[in-house]
Amino acid sequence: MSALLDIQNLHAGVEGTPILNGLSLSIRPGEVHAIMGPNGSGKSTLSYVLAGKDGYNVSQGEMLFNGTSLADMAPEERAIAGLFLAFQYPLEIPGVTNMTFLKTSLNAIRRGRGEDEMDAASFLRLAREKSRALGMNDDMLKRQLNVGFSGGEKKRNEILQMAMLEPKLAILDETDSGLDIDALKTVADGVNALRAPDRGMLVITHYQRLLDFIKPDVVHVMADGKIVKSGGPELALELEKSGYAEYIGEAVNA
Amino acid sequence: MLEAKTYFDRVSDQLPGDVEARATALAAAEAAGLPTRRQEAWHYTDVARLLKNPDSAAALPVDFESLDPLMMTFTNGRAEALPEATGLTLAPFETHAEMAEGAVLNYNAALAQDGLRAEVSGALTQALVVTTAGDAPTHLHHKITLAPNAKAVLVDNHMSSAYTNARFDIALGESAELTLIRLQQAGYQIGTSHVTVAGDAQFKSVALVTGGALARHEAAVTLSAPGAHAQLHSAVIGRGKNHADFTYIIDHEAANTSSNTSAYNVLDEASRGVFQGKVIVRQDAQHVEAEMQTRAMMLSDGAEMDAKPELEIFADDVACAHGSAIGELDKDALFFLRARGLDEASARHLLVVGFIEQVLTHIDDEAMAKALRALVAQSVSTQFTNEEGA
Repeated sequence: MSALLDIQNLHAGVEGTPILNGLSLSIRPGEVHAIMGPNGSGKSTLSYVLAGKDGYNVSQGEMLFNGTSLADMAPEERAIAGLFLAFQYPLEIPGVTNMTFLKTSLNAIRRGRGEDEMDAASFLRLAREKSRALGMNDDMLKRQLNVGFSGGEKKRNEILQMAMLEPKLAILDETDSGLDIDALKTVADGVNALRAPDRGMLVITHYQRLLDFIKPDVVHVMADGKIVKSGGPELALELEKSGYAEYIGEAVNA
Repeated sequence: MLEAKTYFDRVSDQLPGDVEARATALAAAEAAGLPTRRQEAWHYTDVARLLKNPDSAAALPVDFESLDPLMMTFTNGRAEALPEATGLTLAPFETHAEMAEGAVLNYNAALAQDGLRAEVSGALTQALVVTTAGDAPTHLHHKITLAPNAKAVLVDNHMSSAYTNARFDIALGESAELTLIRLQQAGYQIGTSHVTVAGDAQFKSVALVTGGALARHEAAVTLSAPGAHAQLHSAVIGRGKNHADFTYIIDHEAANTSSNTSAYNVLDEASRGVFQGKVIVRQDAQHVEAEMQTRAMMLSDGAEMDAKPELEIFADDVACAHGSAIGELDKDALFFLRARGLDEASARHLLVVGFIEQVLTHIDDEAMAKALRALVAQSVSTQFTNEEGA
């Protein structure tokens, strides 16, 4: 089966500072990959480069999404193509209700895919169903987007957006940060409910804990802007015991 | 206003009331001259220059009809039919000119031919929408009085393309509630309001300026007895050479009074926003709460925001705060929205509309808020269409 995401020898940086140094990674439909690594290894940079944030520039290598290069696509084109980034720090947008935001987003993506916009009643039904499944009350849909939300509510809201938009590839950037164990379980349940044979996931995390709940097929260790080791779920457990010291050394010596 | 004297001489025999008193007011106005930037309160607003700026913006229709309001229109300074409703008395314009301080109010005293004379004695179920229309310079002097426990929603819908000098004298009796919505989409307006708020009464002003070469909204609000509360919120969507100036003095005369002021300006092209807010807390006015916030979103290097919040506090047991934040459109928020499928224009639109919504959210009447929301959305869209066309 051809890869959903195929990254080859990717070099990228922020405003001239190189951060990714020859990263290669391939995710097939149905697979869940985890990237673990110490702070500063470039994990979040990878997520921003994939999502197309301004100022994050690719200098070498390529990123193919379903065989199409992402490099020249605008962030919204990537979203329409089926790429979704769950933000580590979801933005607060005053004056825009969660409901308005979700509807605008869903319909922008449907239009972009050449589908009809969803009517108000169907949308409301869908949003309520998906948010209840994530243990969110209807009030959260009426509130201003992420304004005054707790850390857990923000992350839950990210998963709600993912559930509404049904992406082909979901990148979860430190979705576990700032979550207590109950919130972590709820979020992980939401993510697991979206696992599907035609959907890939890239779970970026600093801690092994999240991977107790979202079982990855492949675990990668990232250090100094590239993948330094790949393995099965057991690699995450190994890291939990021995830490990242070994890999930091390896990357420096390399 | 060199032409004011000529105009006065031509129409004086048609003006209601004491022509002598009007002539005196006019002489005082002409002697003082229109305010200049040398006066502190007008430092950021150069009236003579702004009156020369062309204003080609056309006012967009606002769907007030769906609210089933009481409607009243002043066309070129004269009222058309007066609406009728239980709890509302609209008297004809009275017949004498009132001397006042400063050229703006004295021109008004000399030249005002008409104005609202409203007494509200009960809780009005319909909003009163007062539209100023036409293309000739207009002077209006409105007086609005709310009896104790009376309630009203008044909309000042400014649509005239010409210079308008509007004076508002507003008095709220005990426990009365007035929501004043001021809307300016075009033209040149200097509005001067004096508001007195009695004990436990609430005055709420929500202003929306989406255009106009000159919008100067000046208000002096006096909170005269315990429990009096005032809210003054303003939103400006500026483009071209639009100039919007909100200048407030909120005087906490009595203890246990409170006020909440916010100004949201989104400024594009060469537009300019001005906010001057002074909160005064008198010596005996303990337990006063006053908050004042200014926010500006700058969309262009050529735009300018001047914010001057001031607190003058003579009492020692009060909670007063002011804050000011001027920034650009949040790039991270823009990326977040684009990562959710919105193209750049739609993302900007949503952020700007959301910014202004923080003022509209103070309007309790949902149908009214909806009508203004539609205007904001259309106004912001027009702006982007213009940008793309440029």
